[in-house]
Amino acid sequence: MDKKKELEWRKLDNSAKIFPISAGKKYSAVFRLSAILKENINRKKLDIAVNKALKKYESFKVRMKYGFFWYYFEHNTKKPIIRREKEYPCKYINPKTNNNYLFKVTYFKNKINIDINHSLADGNSASIFFREIVYSYLELAHEENFKDDERKVRKVEEVTTEDSYISNYDKKAKSNASAKKAYKLKGKKLKLGAISVTHEIIDFEKLREKCKEKDVTVTQYLSAVLLYSIYTENCGATMKEEKNILRKPLKLCIPVDLRKYYSSKTMSNFFSYITLETYMENVKSFDDILDIVKKDFKQKLTLEELNKTMSGNVKIGINPVIRVIPLFLKKILVRLSYIEIRKYTTLTYSNIGRIGIIGKYQQYLDYFVMLISPDPMEKIKCSSCTLGNKLVFTFTSILADNKIEKAFCKFLTSQGINVEIESNGVLE
Amino acid sequence: MIYPKKINARKTNIILNLFAVVSILVAILLIIINKLTTPNIHWAALSNAGIVYLWITVIYSINKNINIAAHVMIQTFAISLLNLYIDYKLGMDGWSLSISIPIIIIIANVTMLFLTIVSSRRYIRYAIFQLIILGFSTLPAIFIYENMVHNRVLSYVATGIVAINFIITICLSASDVKDEIIRKFHL
Repeated sequence: MDKKKELEWRKLDNSAKIFPISAGKKYSAVFRLSAILKENINRKKLDIAVNKALKKYESFKVRMKYGFFWYYFEHNTKKPIIRREKEYPCKYINPKTNNNYLFKVTYFKNKINIDINHSLADGNSASIFFREIVYSYLELAHEENFKDDERKVRKVEEVTTEDSYISNYDKKAKSNASAKKAYKLKGKKLKLGAISVTHEIIDFEKLREKCKEKDVTVTQYLSAVLLYSIYTENCGATMKEEKNILRKPLKLCIPVDLRKYYSSKTMSNFFSYITLETYMENVKSFDDILDIVKKDFKQKLTLEELNKTMSGNVKIGINPVIRVIPLFLKKILVRLSYIEIRKYTTLTYSNIGRIGIIGKYQQYLDYFVMLISPDPMEKIKCSSCTLGNKLVFTFTSILADNKIEKAFCKFLTSQGINVEIESNGVLE
Repeated sequence: MIYPKKINARKTNIILNLFAVVSILVAILLIIINKLTTPNIHWAALSNAGIVYLWITVIYSINKNINIAAHVMIQTFAISLLNLYIDYKLGMDGWSLSISIPIIIIIANVTMLFLTIVSSRRYIRYAIFQLIILGFSTLPAIFIYENMVHNRVLSYVATGIVAINFIITICLSASDVKDEIIRKFHL
């Protein structure tokens, strides 16, 4: 390892800056991707696969350091430690437990997991890196099937870690933030830091047929089912709760990959979000919600609107006054303001879509799952991804009941869509 | 099943409630023993404060994802040494040996017993710390044998609890302890 490499460092991108400042034990800012294989995992081969993948994607081979004004990334000379899965998913990654890496690769039976600190990557870049691990692992585990052809990977020069926010934001864009606070999910919380995980494995073909019938996208349909499940399970629970849900809007935050809108190949974060806002006063049926969601998507999922949201956030990050505040003070201020900001979202649903896997490798894989860490302000978080005919919709929750998860499954089944359930057993 | 087995929420609630009841019963029992044996020294108040301290430590460690056994071991040593030092500075009346250290040992052993029962699957993480704590916990027996304490009630109670802890640990986790010894001391 040359000295130059050891001294390499880079700034955090505009989104990444906020995560280490606001993150802690309760709000971990960690998400997970898992690949469920059709065979048990060999730890030694996984170890080699992770190190091979790190050589190709060096932007992940970093540790986070404390600067006077901001955190920054520094090249990490150590190797990550691969362990058997023991903890709940998406827990805060203590750098001391993994040679200072900001991600953690674990395995359990036939499953490989990667838990990633959001400051390192967004869902898209994380899935590229994770796929590389899975490909390398399968090549090692089935050498005889892969020895002839070499997989084409993205050329290294195409992959950058540039801050695409800075190069694409609009100085003159006006804020489009909503001023209305959101309805918050309430209920008894799980004890001792437990996280409940429910995967709903959905028949993708049947779901797509239903979406075609309703003339909506998969994300729009599932967002509407989610909002409908929250509404039906909370409306009428108690008089107070019913009043609450009719008074405050249900706000669903949906992250959007900006690479589809701008020509960026960055492996750093480059996402924004749209917030669907649904007032339940005039809602009489699921179709009413679906209409609202469809209109909201049409109105908000545009380059102009996304640019407004992104630019608003960039302007905060590059504000000279904010930049000169020492990091220890920033932490206090950001944590306080973060509690306030998050009052404007009911929950988050992230759909990273299809995980593109090369044909020859698909025979060894069953499905992929994605999980996002819940926290006291957003007690349930949802995510989904698709492989083949399996779309896995995941609920991660710190609430001690799973009525929304059940309602979601019940609704899809009532629409003739097959759903299988897999969970971590916390709420069984 | 694609996740390691976790205790489900209902069982967690039952275990927590059970240990809350046990803690209250132990606290009452200690007060009764105190009243019947040495009514002039209010050591039960200290023991009960220790039980509260134990709850705070366990909940803090679980929430912060810290190895509880390591935490308990370090605190056991640190608080024992601090008490011994304060006693020494105040003229060495011997309260640290007859009251403080036995109470600390009782609390440490009860905590380890709790961990052994609740998380026997992950016991390997705690085994080495449990062994060290058990080694340290022989002190009250040594104090009695060497005639270093005048008031022996708490030393007897502590030694009894250590013996129970040792027996239960061996019954539940003997193979884990053996594996851990082989792993830590391999040549």
